Amino acid sequence: MIHLINLSKSYSSSDGVVSALENVNLTIPDGTIYGIIGLSGAGKSTLVRCINLLERPTEGRVVIDGEEVTRLPKKRLLELRRNVGMIFQNFNLLEQRTVEANVRFPLELIKMPREQANLRVAELLELVGLTDKAKSYPSQLSGGQKQRVAIARALATKPKYVLCDEATSALDPTTTESILKLIKDINKKLGVTVVVITHEMRVVESICTHVAVIDNSRIAEEGLVSEVFSYPQSDIAKQLIIPNLIRSLSGGEGAKLRLVFNGELSDEPIISAMAMECRVAVNILYADTKNIDGKPFGHMVITVPSDKADTVKRFLDAHSVSYREEV
Amino acid sequence: MSTLFTQLWKNGGFWIGVGETLYMTVASALLAYIIGLPLGIVLVITDKDGLTPIAWLNKTIGILVNVFRSIPFIILMVALIPFSRAILGTSIGNGAMILMLVVASAPYVARMVESSLKEVDRGVIEAARSMGADTFKIIWKVYLPEAKPSLIVGAIISTVTILGYSAMSGTIAGGGLGSIAVTQARPSNAQDVIWLCVALMVIIVQIIQEVGMLIARKVDKRVRSSVKKHRKNNTETLG
Repeated sequence: MIHLINLSKSYSSSDGVVSALENVNLTIPDGTIYGIIGLSGAGKSTLVRCINLLERPTEGRVVIDGEEVTRLPKKRLLELRRNVGMIFQNFNLLEQRTVEANVRFPLELIKMPREQANLRVAELLELVGLTDKAKSYPSQLSGGQKQRVAIARALATKPKYVLCDEATSALDPTTTESILKLIKDINKKLGVTVVVITHEMRVVESICTHVAVIDNSRIAEEGLVSEVFSYPQSDIAKQLIIPNLIRSLSGGEGAKLRLVFNGELSDEPIISAMAMECRVAVNILYADTKNIDGKPFGHMVITVPSDKADTVKRFLDAHSVSYREEV
Repeated sequence: MSTLFTQLWKNGGFWIGVGETLYMTVASALLAYIIGLPLGIVLVITDKDGLTPIAWLNKTIGILVNVFRSIPFIILMVALIPFSRAILGTSIGNGAMILMLVVASAPYVARMVESSLKEVDRGVIEAARSMGADTFKIIWKVYLPEAKPSLIVGAIISTVTILGYSAMSGTIAGGGLGSIAVTQARPSNAQDVIWLCVALMVIIVQIIQEVGMLIARKVDKRVRSSVKKHRKNNTETLG
Protein backbone atom coordinates (compact mmCIF):
# COMPACT_ATOMS: atom_id res chain seq x y z
CA MET A 1 0.00 0.00 0.00
CA ILE A 2 1.27 3.41 -0.95
CA HIS A 3 0.10 6.40 1.07
CA LEU A 4 0.77 9.94 0.03
CA ILE A 5 0.04 12.25 2.91
CA ASN A 6 -0.26 16.02 2.54
CA LEU A 7 2.31 15.96 -0.19
CA SER A 8 3.51 19.28 -1.57
CA LYS A 9 6.33 20.09 -3.92
CA SER A 10 7.48 23.47 -5.08
CA TYR A 11 10.44 24.64 -7.08
CA SER A 12 12.13 27.96 -6.85
CA SER A 13 12.77 29.38 -10.28
CA SER A 14 13.79 32.74 -11.61
CA ASP A 15 10.21 33.96 -11.53
CA GLY A 16 9.57 32.94 -7.96
CA VAL A 17 8.31 29.77 -6.37
CA VAL A 18 6.41 27.43 -8.65
CA SER A 19 4.16 24.90 -7.06
CA ALA A 20 3.99 21.47 -8.70
CA LEU A 21 1.97 19.66 -6.05
CA GLU A 22 -0.27 21.04 -3.37
CA ASN A 23 -1.45 19.04 -0.45
CA VAL A 24 -1.94 15.76 -2.26
CA ASN A 25 -3.48 12.86 -0.36
CA LEU A 26 -3.73 9.54 -2.08
CA THR A 27 -3.94 5.89 -1.12
CA ILE A 28 -2.95 3.29 -3.65
CA PRO A 29 -4.25 -0.12 -2.55
CA ASP A 30 -2.25 -3.26 -3.30
CA GLY A 31 -3.06 -5.14 -6.46
CA THR A 32 -4.70 -2.22 -8.22
CA ILE A 33 -3.83 -0.45 -11.42
CA TYR A 34 -4.08 3.12 -10.29
CA GLY A 35 -4.38 5.75 -12.99
CA ILE A 36 -3.33 9.33 -12.40
CA ILE A 37 -4.63 11.47 -15.20
CA GLY A 38 -4.23 15.13 -15.90
CA LEU A 39 -3.36 17.62 -18.57
CA SER A 40 0.30 18.33 -19.17
CA GLY A 41 1.77 20.55 -16.50
CA ALA A 42 -0.79 19.41 -13.96
CA GLY A 43 1.92 17.89 -11.78
CA LYS A 44 1.44 14.21 -12.47
CA SER A 45 5.05 13.48 -13.39
CA THR A 46 6.24 15.19 -10.24
CA LEU A 47 3.72 13.19 -8.24
CA VAL A 48 4.97 9.84 -9.49
CA ARG A 49 8.60 10.86 -8.92
CA CYS A 50 7.78 11.71 -5.35
CA ILE A 51 6.72 8.11 -4.73
CA ASN A 52 10.24 6.72 -5.19
CA LEU A 53 11.81 10.03 -4.19
CA LEU A 54 13.45 10.74 -7.52
CA GLU A 55 12.12 14.10 -6.50
CA ARG A 56 11.92 15.00 -2.88
CA PRO A 57 8.60 16.51 -1.78
CA THR A 58 8.96 19.85 0.00
CA GLU A 59 6.30 18.84 2.49
CA GLY A 60 4.35 15.78 3.45
CA ARG A 61 5.07 12.10 3.74
CA VAL A 62 5.29 9.10 1.46
CA VAL A 63 4.58 5.83 3.21
CA ILE A 64 5.10 2.54 1.43
CA ASP A 65 4.09 -0.65 3.26
CA GLY A 66 4.16 1.20 6.56
CA GLU A 67 7.64 2.54 5.99
CA GLU A 68 8.07 6.28 5.82
CA VAL A 69 10.09 6.68 2.66
CA THR A 70 10.61 10.38 3.14
CA ARG A 71 12.61 9.66 6.28
CA LEU A 72 14.71 6.74 5.11
CA PRO A 73 18.49 6.95 5.21
CA LYS A 74 20.06 7.00 1.79
CA LYS A 75 21.12 3.36 1.76
CA ARG A 76 17.71 2.07 2.72
CA LEU A 77 16.13 4.33 0.11
CA LEU A 78 18.27 2.74 -2.61
CA GLU A 79 17.09 -0.68 -1.43
CA LEU A 80 13.49 0.46 -1.43
CA ARG A 81 13.76 1.62 -5.02
CA ARG A 82 14.44 -1.98 -5.99
CA ASN A 83 10.95 -2.75 -4.78
CA VAL A 84 9.48 0.00 -6.95
CA GLY A 85 10.14 -0.49 -10.67
CA MET A 86 9.67 2.35 -13.08
CA ILE A 87 9.09 2.71 -16.79
CA PHE A 88 9.23 5.90 -18.82
CA GLN A 89 7.79 7.59 -21.85
CA ASN A 90 11.13 7.53 -23.64
CA PHE A 91 12.05 4.03 -22.48
CA ASN A 92 15.43 5.19 -21.15
CA LEU A 93 17.35 2.11 -22.11
CA LEU A 94 21.12 2.00 -22.00
CA GLU A 95 21.97 2.45 -25.67
CA GLN A 96 25.37 0.79 -25.40
CA ARG A 97 24.05 -2.41 -23.82
CA THR A 98 22.25 -5.28 -25.46
CA VAL A 99 18.67 -6.06 -24.58
CA GLU A 100 19.71 -8.78 -22.14
CA ALA A 101 22.37 -6.58 -20.56
CA ASN A 102 19.77 -3.87 -20.06
CA VAL A 103 17.49 -6.27 -18.25
CA ARG A 104 20.45 -7.55 -16.25
CA PHE A 105 21.41 -4.03 -15.15
CA PRO A 106 19.28 -3.89 -11.98
CA LEU A 107 20.48 -7.39 -11.09
CA GLU A 108 24.10 -6.25 -11.39
CA LEU A 109 23.24 -3.48 -8.96
CA ILE A 110 22.17 -6.00 -6.34
CA LYS A 111 25.22 -8.13 -7.17
CA MET A 112 23.23 -11.19 -8.16
CA PRO A 113 25.60 -13.98 -9.30
CA ARG A 114 25.97 -13.91 -13.08
CA GLU A 115 24.44 -17.32 -13.80
CA GLN A 116 21.43 -16.73 -11.65
CA ALA A 117 21.01 -13.30 -13.21
CA ASN A 118 21.12 -14.75 -16.72
CA LEU A 119 18.38 -17.22 -15.84
CA ARG A 120 16.25 -14.41 -14.48
CA VAL A 121 16.89 -12.33 -17.61
CA ALA A 122 15.82 -15.20 -19.88
CA GLU A 123 12.66 -15.63 -17.82
CA LEU A 124 11.84 -11.91 -18.08
CA LEU A 125 12.48 -11.74 -21.80
CA GLU A 126 10.13 -14.62 -22.26
CA LEU A 127 7.50 -12.83 -20.18
CA VAL A 128 7.64 -9.80 -22.45
CA GLY A 129 8.01 -11.87 -25.60
CA LEU A 130 11.46 -10.73 -26.67
CA THR A 131 13.55 -13.86 -26.25
CA ASP A 132 14.76 -13.62 -29.85
CA LYS A 133 15.98 -10.06 -29.34
CA ALA A 134 18.26 -10.80 -26.39
CA LYS A 135 21.43 -9.92 -28.30
CA SER A 136 20.03 -6.90 -30.12
CA TYR A 137 20.80 -3.33 -29.18
CA PRO A 138 18.04 -0.82 -28.36
CA SER A 139 18.67 1.11 -31.57
CA GLN A 140 17.62 -1.99 -33.50
CA LEU A 141 14.23 -2.17 -31.81
CA SER A 142 10.89 -0.52 -32.43
CA GLY A 143 9.31 1.70 -29.79
CA GLY A 144 7.03 -1.05 -28.56
CA GLN A 145 9.91 -3.49 -28.27
CA LYS A 146 11.96 -0.94 -26.36
CA GLN A 147 9.13 -0.45 -23.89
CA ARG A 148 8.92 -4.22 -23.44
CA VAL A 149 12.60 -4.30 -22.60
CA ALA A 150 12.04 -1.46 -20.14
CA ILE A 151 9.18 -3.40 -18.55
CA ALA A 152 11.33 -6.51 -18.24
CA ARG A 153 14.06 -4.39 -16.67
CA ALA A 154 11.63 -2.78 -14.24
CA LEU A 155 10.45 -6.23 -13.16
CA ALA A 156 13.91 -7.76 -12.80
CA THR A 157 14.21 -7.31 -9.05
CA LYS A 158 10.65 -8.58 -8.51
CA PRO A 159 9.23 -5.29 -7.34
CA LYS A 160 5.89 -5.08 -5.64
CA TYR A 161 5.13 -1.79 -7.36
CA VAL A 162 5.66 -0.50 -10.86
CA LEU A 163 5.37 3.18 -11.77
CA CYS A 164 4.56 4.00 -15.38
CA ASP A 165 5.28 7.55 -16.44
CA GLU A 166 3.42 8.17 -19.70
CA ALA A 167 4.60 4.74 -20.75
CA THR A 168 2.56 4.62 -23.93
CA SER A 169 2.57 8.27 -24.94
CA ALA A 170 5.34 7.80 -27.48
CA LEU A 171 3.70 4.78 -29.11
CA ASP A 172 1.19 4.33 -31.89
CA PRO A 173 -2.33 3.11 -31.02
CA THR A 174 -1.76 -0.56 -31.89
CA THR A 175 1.47 -0.74 -29.96
CA THR A 176 -0.10 1.15 -27.07
CA GLU A 177 -2.76 -1.49 -26.86
CA SER A 178 -0.26 -4.35 -26.74
CA ILE A 179 1.82 -2.61 -24.07
CA LEU A 180 -1.28 -1.90 -21.98
CA LYS A 181 -2.28 -5.53 -22.29
CA LEU A 182 1.16 -6.55 -21.09
CA ILE A 183 0.90 -4.21 -18.10
CA LYS A 184 -2.50 -5.64 -17.26
CA ASP A 185 -1.16 -9.20 -17.56
CA ILE A 186 1.68 -8.38 -15.22
CA ASN A 187 -0.73 -6.92 -12.71
CA LYS A 188 -2.84 -10.05 -12.86
CA LYS A 189 -0.13 -12.71 -13.09
CA LEU A 190 2.44 -11.25 -10.73
CA GLY A 191 0.11 -9.26 -8.51
CA VAL A 192 2.19 -6.15 -9.06
CA THR A 193 0.54 -2.88 -8.08
CA VAL A 194 0.80 -0.46 -10.98
CA VAL A 195 0.65 3.31 -10.91
CA VAL A 196 -0.10 4.70 -14.35
CA ILE A 197 0.55 8.34 -15.16
CA THR A 198 -1.11 9.46 -18.35
CA HIS A 199 -2.92 12.24 -20.14
CA GLU A 200 -4.87 9.79 -22.26
CA MET A 201 -8.32 8.73 -21.25
CA ARG A 202 -8.16 5.50 -23.19
CA VAL A 203 -5.25 4.30 -21.08
CA VAL A 204 -7.22 4.70 -17.86
CA GLU A 205 -10.31 3.32 -19.50
CA SER A 206 -8.69 0.17 -20.73
CA ILE A 207 -6.56 -0.95 -17.78
CA CYS A 208 -7.10 1.02 -14.59
CA THR A 209 -9.20 0.01 -11.65
CA HIS A 210 -8.83 3.31 -9.83
CA VAL A 211 -8.24 6.79 -11.06
CA ALA A 212 -7.20 10.12 -9.61
CA VAL A 213 -7.71 13.24 -11.66
CA ILE A 214 -5.07 15.84 -11.05
CA ASP A 215 -5.44 19.47 -11.98
CA ASN A 216 -3.42 22.51 -11.09
CA SER A 217 -1.18 20.60 -8.68
CA ARG A 218 -4.14 19.20 -6.75
CA ILE A 219 -6.15 16.02 -6.81
CA ALA A 220 -9.51 17.08 -8.18
CA GLU A 221 -11.21 13.76 -7.84
CA GLU A 222 -10.45 10.11 -7.22
CA GLY A 223 -12.10 6.76 -6.90
CA LEU A 224 -13.00 3.65 -8.83
CA VAL A 225 -12.76 4.12 -12.56
CA SER A 226 -16.32 2.94 -13.06
CA GLU A 227 -17.63 5.56 -10.65
CA VAL A 228 -15.50 8.49 -11.70
CA PHE A 229 -16.19 7.76 -15.33
CA SER A 230 -19.89 7.49 -14.91
CA TYR A 231 -20.35 10.49 -12.71
CA PRO A 232 -17.44 12.87 -12.96
CA GLN A 233 -17.87 15.59 -10.35
CA SER A 234 -15.09 18.07 -10.95
CA ASP A 235 -14.88 20.29 -13.99
CA ILE A 236 -11.56 18.86 -15.01
CA ALA A 237 -12.81 15.28 -14.81
CA LYS A 238 -15.83 16.18 -16.89
CA GLN A 239 -13.59 17.85 -19.39
CA LEU A 240 -11.30 14.84 -19.62
CA ILE A 241 -13.94 12.16 -19.57
CA ILE A 242 -16.71 13.69 -21.62
CA PRO A 243 -15.14 15.02 -24.74
CA ASN A 244 -15.97 18.59 -25.71
CA LEU A 245 -17.75 17.11 -28.63
CA ILE A 246 -20.53 15.80 -26.46
CA ARG A 247 -21.06 18.98 -24.56
CA SER A 248 -21.14 21.10 -27.63
CA LEU A 249 -23.61 18.80 -29.30
CA SER A 250 -26.76 20.56 -30.17
CA GLY A 251 -29.57 19.49 -32.37
CA GLY A 252 -32.76 17.70 -31.78
CA GLU A 253 -35.50 19.18 -29.74
CA GLY A 254 -36.34 17.91 -26.33
CA ALA A 255 -34.42 16.44 -23.45
CA LYS A 256 -30.79 15.59 -23.92
CA LEU A 257 -29.67 12.56 -21.95
CA ARG A 258 -26.20 11.15 -21.54
CA LEU A 259 -26.30 7.42 -20.96
CA VAL A 260 -23.36 5.82 -19.23
CA PHE A 261 -22.51 2.21 -19.82
CA ASN A 262 -20.14 0.95 -17.24
CA GLY A 263 -20.24 -2.73 -17.83
CA GLU A 264 -23.18 -3.46 -15.60
CA LEU A 265 -25.46 -4.07 -18.50
CA SER A 266 -25.66 -7.15 -20.65
CA ASP A 267 -25.46 -6.49 -24.36
CA GLU A 268 -29.19 -6.37 -25.01
CA PRO A 269 -30.26 -3.84 -27.65
CA ILE A 270 -31.34 -1.29 -25.07
CA ILE A 271 -32.03 1.64 -27.40
CA SER A 272 -34.27 -0.39 -29.68
CA ALA A 273 -36.09 -1.76 -26.68
CA MET A 274 -36.56 1.74 -25.34
CA ALA A 275 -37.86 3.06 -28.65
CA MET A 276 -40.41 0.29 -28.90
CA GLU A 277 -41.49 0.13 -25.32
CA CYS A 278 -41.79 3.86 -24.75
CA ARG A 279 -43.00 4.54 -28.28
CA VAL A 280 -40.54 7.30 -28.63
CA ALA A 281 -38.39 8.58 -31.48
CA VAL A 282 -34.83 8.52 -30.19
CA ASN A 283 -32.23 10.69 -31.78
CA ILE A 284 -28.68 9.50 -31.17
CA LEU A 285 -26.34 12.50 -31.17
CA TYR A 286 -23.19 10.76 -30.11
CA ALA A 287 -22.13 7.28 -29.21
CA ASP A 288 -18.79 5.96 -28.12
CA THR A 289 -19.26 2.56 -26.64
CA LYS A 290 -17.12 -0.47 -26.77
CA ASN A 291 -17.54 -4.04 -25.81
CA ILE A 292 -15.13 -5.24 -23.17
CA ASP A 293 -15.55 -8.87 -22.14
CA GLY A 294 -19.08 -8.84 -23.53
CA LYS A 295 -20.15 -5.77 -21.55
CA PRO A 296 -20.71 -2.34 -23.01
CA PHE A 297 -18.65 0.59 -21.76
CA GLY A 298 -18.84 4.20 -22.79
CA HIS A 299 -21.19 7.08 -23.38
CA MET A 300 -24.13 7.76 -25.59
CA VAL A 301 -25.99 11.03 -25.96
CA ILE A 302 -29.60 10.93 -27.10
CA THR A 303 -32.45 13.35 -27.35
CA VAL A 304 -36.07 12.43 -26.81
CA PRO A 305 -39.14 14.65 -27.08
CA SER A 306 -39.66 16.60 -23.85
CA ASP A 307 -43.09 15.15 -23.20
CA LYS A 308 -41.66 11.63 -23.33
CA ALA A 309 -38.64 12.35 -21.16
CA ASP A 310 -40.15 11.03 -17.97
CA THR A 311 -41.26 7.79 -19.62
CA VAL A 312 -37.78 7.27 -20.97
CA LYS A 313 -36.20 7.98 -17.60
CA ARG A 314 -38.44 5.43 -15.95
CA PHE A 315 -37.51 2.93 -18.60
CA LEU A 316 -33.81 3.58 -18.03
CA ASP A 317 -34.22 3.30 -14.28
CA ALA A 318 -36.04 0.02 -14.71
CA HIS A 319 -33.20 -1.32 -16.82
CA SER A 320 -30.58 0.11 -14.49
CA VAL A 321 -28.92 2.24 -17.14
CA SER A 322 -27.11 5.19 -15.60
CA TYR A 323 -27.93 8.49 -17.21
CA ARG A 324 -27.69 12.18 -16.74
CA GLU A 325 -29.67 14.96 -18.14
CA GLU A 326 -27.40 17.35 -19.96
CA VAL A 327 -28.20 20.91 -20.73
CA MET B 1 69.04 18.68 -50.85
CA SER B 2 70.39 20.44 -47.78
CA THR B 3 73.27 18.97 -45.80
CA LEU B 4 71.06 18.88 -42.71
CA PHE B 5 68.55 16.74 -44.59
CA THR B 6 71.20 14.23 -45.70
CA GLN B 7 72.62 14.16 -42.20
CA LEU B 8 69.26 13.55 -40.53
CA TRP B 9 68.31 11.03 -43.19
CA LYS B 10 71.55 9.08 -42.65
CA ASN B 11 71.62 9.07 -38.84
CA GLY B 12 67.90 8.33 -38.55
CA GLY B 13 67.24 11.76 -37.03
CA PHE B 14 63.79 11.92 -38.59
CA TRP B 15 62.77 8.63 -37.03
CA ILE B 16 64.06 9.70 -33.67
CA GLY B 17 61.99 12.87 -34.13
CA VAL B 18 58.88 10.84 -34.93
CA GLY B 19 59.54 8.64 -31.92
CA GLU B 20 60.02 11.60 -29.58
CA THR B 21 56.93 13.35 -30.85
CA LEU B 22 54.86 10.21 -30.34
CA TYR B 23 56.38 9.58 -26.94
CA MET B 24 55.66 13.10 -25.70
CA THR B 25 52.19 13.13 -27.17
CA VAL B 26 51.07 9.73 -25.92
CA ALA B 27 52.61 10.08 -22.46
CA SER B 28 51.14 13.56 -22.03
CA ALA B 29 47.73 12.50 -23.26
CA LEU B 30 47.66 9.52 -20.87
CA LEU B 31 48.70 11.61 -17.88
CA ALA B 32 46.33 14.40 -18.90
CA TYR B 33 43.48 11.89 -18.88
CA ILE B 34 44.49 10.49 -15.51
CA ILE B 35 43.98 14.01 -14.15
CA GLY B 36 41.35 15.35 -16.54
CA LEU B 37 38.95 12.41 -16.56
CA PRO B 38 38.20 12.52 -12.82
CA LEU B 39 37.99 16.31 -12.98
CA GLY B 40 35.49 16.10 -15.82
CA ILE B 41 33.42 13.57 -13.91
CA VAL B 42 33.44 15.76 -10.81
CA LEU B 43 32.37 18.75 -12.91
CA VAL B 44 29.35 16.82 -14.18
CA ILE B 45 28.38 15.22 -10.88
CA THR B 46 28.67 18.36 -8.77
CA ASP B 47 26.86 20.53 -11.31
CA LYS B 48 23.64 22.10 -10.05
CA ASP B 49 21.68 19.62 -12.18
CA GLY B 50 24.09 16.80 -11.35
CA LEU B 51 23.71 13.77 -9.11
CA THR B 52 25.26 15.41 -6.05
CA PRO B 53 25.34 19.16 -6.56
CA ILE B 54 28.22 20.79 -4.67
CA ALA B 55 28.29 24.39 -5.82
CA TRP B 56 31.61 25.50 -4.29
CA LEU B 57 33.56 22.51 -5.62
CA ASN B 58 32.04 22.86 -9.07
CA LYS B 59 32.81 26.58 -9.14
CA THR B 60 36.37 26.10 -7.91
CA ILE B 61 37.26 23.45 -10.46
CA GLY B 62 35.46 25.37 -13.18
CA ILE B 63 37.44 28.53 -12.49
CA LEU B 64 40.77 26.68 -12.26
CA VAL B 65 40.09 24.95 -15.54
CA ASN B 66 39.20 28.21 -17.24
CA VAL B 67 42.24 30.00 -15.88
CA PHE B 68 44.65 27.34 -17.13
CA ARG B 69 42.90 27.12 -20.46
CA SER B 70 43.15 30.82 -21.08
CA ILE B 71 46.93 31.02 -20.65
CA PRO B 72 48.72 30.73 -23.99
CA PHE B 73 50.88 27.61 -23.96
CA ILE B 74 54.13 29.35 -24.67
CA ILE B 75 53.62 31.62 -21.66
CA LEU B 76 52.50 28.73 -19.49
CA MET B 77 55.75 26.95 -20.37
CA VAL B 78 57.85 29.85 -19.18
CA ALA B 79 55.76 30.18 -16.05
CA LEU B 80 56.12 26.49 -15.29
CA ILE B 81 59.90 26.44 -15.42
CA PRO B 82 60.32 26.79 -11.62
CA PHE B 83 57.56 24.22 -11.06
CA SER B 84 59.26 21.76 -13.36
CA ARG B 85 62.59 22.31 -11.58
CA ALA B 86 60.96 21.66 -8.25
CA ILE B 87 59.25 18.49 -9.39
CA LEU B 88 61.64 16.95 -11.91
CA GLY B 89 64.85 18.70 -10.95
CA THR B 90 65.11 20.08 -14.47
CA SER B 91 63.22 22.47 -16.71
CA ILE B 92 64.54 21.23 -20.03
CA GLY B 93 64.17 18.12 -22.15
CA ASN B 94 61.34 15.80 -23.06
CA GLY B 95 60.42 15.04 -19.46
CA ALA B 96 59.89 18.72 -18.63
CA MET B 97 57.97 19.09 -21.87
CA ILE B 98 55.62 16.28 -20.88
CA LEU B 99 55.01 17.92 -17.51
CA MET B 100 54.13 21.20 -19.19
CA LEU B 101 51.91 19.51 -21.76
CA VAL B 102 50.04 17.72 -18.99
CA VAL B 103 49.45 20.92 -17.03
CA ALA B 104 48.23 22.65 -20.17
CA SER B 105 46.03 19.85 -21.47
CA ALA B 106 44.48 18.33 -18.32
CA PRO B 107 41.99 21.23 -17.97
CA TYR B 108 41.20 20.93 -21.66
CA VAL B 109 40.61 17.20 -21.22
CA ALA B 110 38.38 17.90 -18.22
CA ARG B 111 36.13 20.08 -20.39
CA MET B 112 36.10 17.46 -23.17
CA VAL B 113 35.09 14.76 -20.71
CA GLU B 114 32.48 17.03 -19.17
CA SER B 115 30.83 17.72 -22.51
CA SER B 116 30.86 14.02 -23.46
CA LEU B 117 29.21 13.00 -20.20
CA LYS B 118 26.63 15.73 -20.51
CA GLU B 119 25.50 14.17 -23.77
CA VAL B 120 24.26 11.13 -21.88
CA ASP B 121 20.48 11.15 -21.85
CA ARG B 122 19.17 12.45 -18.53
CA GLY B 123 16.34 9.97 -18.75
CA VAL B 124 18.78 7.07 -18.67
CA ILE B 125 20.39 8.51 -15.56
CA GLU B 126 16.97 8.86 -13.99
CA ALA B 127 16.14 5.25 -14.88
CA ALA B 128 19.34 4.09 -13.17
CA ARG B 129 18.42 6.14 -10.09
CA SER B 130 14.96 4.58 -10.08
CA MET B 131 16.64 1.17 -9.93
CA GLY B 132 18.54 2.12 -6.82
CA ALA B 133 21.95 2.85 -8.34
CA ASP B 134 24.16 5.11 -6.24
CA THR B 135 26.33 7.88 -7.67
CA PHE B 136 29.41 5.69 -8.06
CA LYS B 137 27.48 2.98 -9.89
CA ILE B 138 25.89 5.55 -12.16
CA ILE B 139 29.31 6.95 -13.10
CA TRP B 140 30.80 3.52 -13.62
CA LYS B 141 27.90 1.70 -15.25
CA VAL B 142 25.97 4.46 -16.98
CA TYR B 143 27.92 7.66 -17.63
CA LEU B 144 31.21 6.17 -18.78
CA PRO B 145 29.90 3.25 -20.89
CA GLU B 146 27.13 5.31 -22.45
CA ALA B 147 29.49 8.17 -23.29
CA LYS B 148 32.27 5.87 -24.52
CA PRO B 149 32.08 6.70 -28.25
CA SER B 150 31.99 10.41 -27.49
CA LEU B 151 34.85 10.08 -24.97
CA ILE B 152 36.96 8.36 -27.61
CA VAL B 153 36.29 11.12 -30.13
CA GLY B 154 37.24 13.64 -27.42
CA ALA B 155 40.46 11.73 -26.76
CA ILE B 156 41.39 11.93 -30.43
CA ILE B 157 40.85 15.67 -30.51
CA SER B 158 42.82 16.13 -27.29
CA THR B 159 45.68 13.98 -28.53
CA VAL B 160 45.94 15.87 -31.80
CA THR B 161 45.94 19.16 -29.90
CA ILE B 162 48.70 17.90 -27.60
CA LEU B 163 50.67 16.78 -30.63
CA GLY B 164 50.48 20.31 -31.96
CA TYR B 165 51.70 21.80 -28.67
CA SER B 166 54.54 19.28 -28.50
CA ALA B 167 56.11 21.04 -31.50
CA MET B 168 57.14 23.83 -29.12
CA SER B 169 59.46 21.53 -27.21
CA GLY B 170 62.44 23.08 -29.03
CA THR B 171 62.10 26.13 -26.81
CA ILE B 172 63.09 24.10 -23.75
CA ALA B 173 65.57 21.87 -25.54
CA GLY B 174 63.22 19.00 -25.99
CA GLY B 175 63.09 16.79 -29.06
CA GLY B 176 60.57 15.73 -31.64
CA LEU B 177 59.67 16.81 -35.15
CA GLY B 178 58.74 20.32 -34.10
CA SER B 179 62.10 20.79 -32.47
CA ILE B 180 63.90 19.58 -35.60
CA ALA B 181 61.98 22.02 -37.75
CA VAL B 182 62.26 25.01 -35.43
CA THR B 183 65.68 24.72 -33.80
CA GLN B 184 67.65 22.82 -36.44
CA ALA B 185 66.16 23.48 -39.86
CA ARG B 186 65.04 27.09 -39.40
CA PRO B 187 68.49 28.64 -38.67
CA SER B 188 70.08 26.98 -41.72
CA ASN B 189 66.94 27.58 -43.78
CA ALA B 190 66.69 23.86 -44.69
CA GLN B 191 63.26 24.04 -46.34
CA ASP B 192 63.29 20.37 -47.30
CA VAL B 193 63.73 19.35 -43.66
CA ILE B 194 60.90 21.65 -42.55
CA TRP B 195 58.54 20.26 -45.14
CA LEU B 196 59.37 16.64 -44.36
CA CYS B 197 58.64 17.37 -40.69
CA VAL B 198 55.32 18.91 -41.71
CA ALA B 199 54.51 15.88 -43.86
CA LEU B 200 55.37 13.45 -41.06
CA MET B 201 53.18 15.40 -38.60
CA VAL B 202 50.30 15.33 -41.05
CA ILE B 203 50.67 11.59 -41.47
CA ILE B 204 50.77 11.00 -37.70
CA VAL B 205 47.67 13.14 -37.18
CA GLN B 206 45.89 11.32 -39.98
CA ILE B 207 46.69 7.93 -38.47
CA ILE B 208 45.54 8.97 -35.00
CA GLN B 209 42.37 10.46 -36.46
CA GLU B 210 41.47 7.50 -38.65
CA VAL B 211 42.28 4.77 -36.16
CA GLY B 212 40.53 6.68 -33.38
CA MET B 213 37.36 7.26 -35.37
CA LEU B 214 37.34 3.62 -36.42
CA ILE B 215 37.44 2.55 -32.78
CA ALA B 216 34.77 5.08 -31.84
CA ARG B 217 32.48 3.75 -34.54
CA LYS B 218 33.21 0.16 -33.57
CA VAL B 219 32.29 0.62 -29.92
CA ASP B 220 29.16 2.66 -30.62
CA LYS B 221 26.13 0.40 -30.47
CA ARG B 222 23.69 3.02 -31.59
CA VAL B 223 23.59 1.42 -34.98
CA ARG B 224 23.29 3.60 -38.01
CA SER B 225 24.92 1.33 -40.52
CA SER B 226 22.46 -1.56 -40.46
CA VAL B 227 19.39 0.35 -41.45
CA LYS B 228 18.23 -2.51 -43.61
CA LYS B 229 18.49 -5.03 -40.82
CA HIS B 230 16.75 -2.62 -38.49
CA ARG B 231 13.81 -2.31 -40.83
CA LYS B 232 13.59 -6.03 -41.28
CA ASN B 233 13.52 -6.61 -37.55
CA ASN B 234 10.77 -4.11 -37.10
CA THR B 235 8.43 -5.44 -39.70
CA GLU B 236 8.86 -8.94 -38.38
CA THR B 237 7.63 -8.25 -34.90
CA LEU B 238 6.05 -4.89 -34.75
CA GLY B 239 5.33 -3.76 -31.23
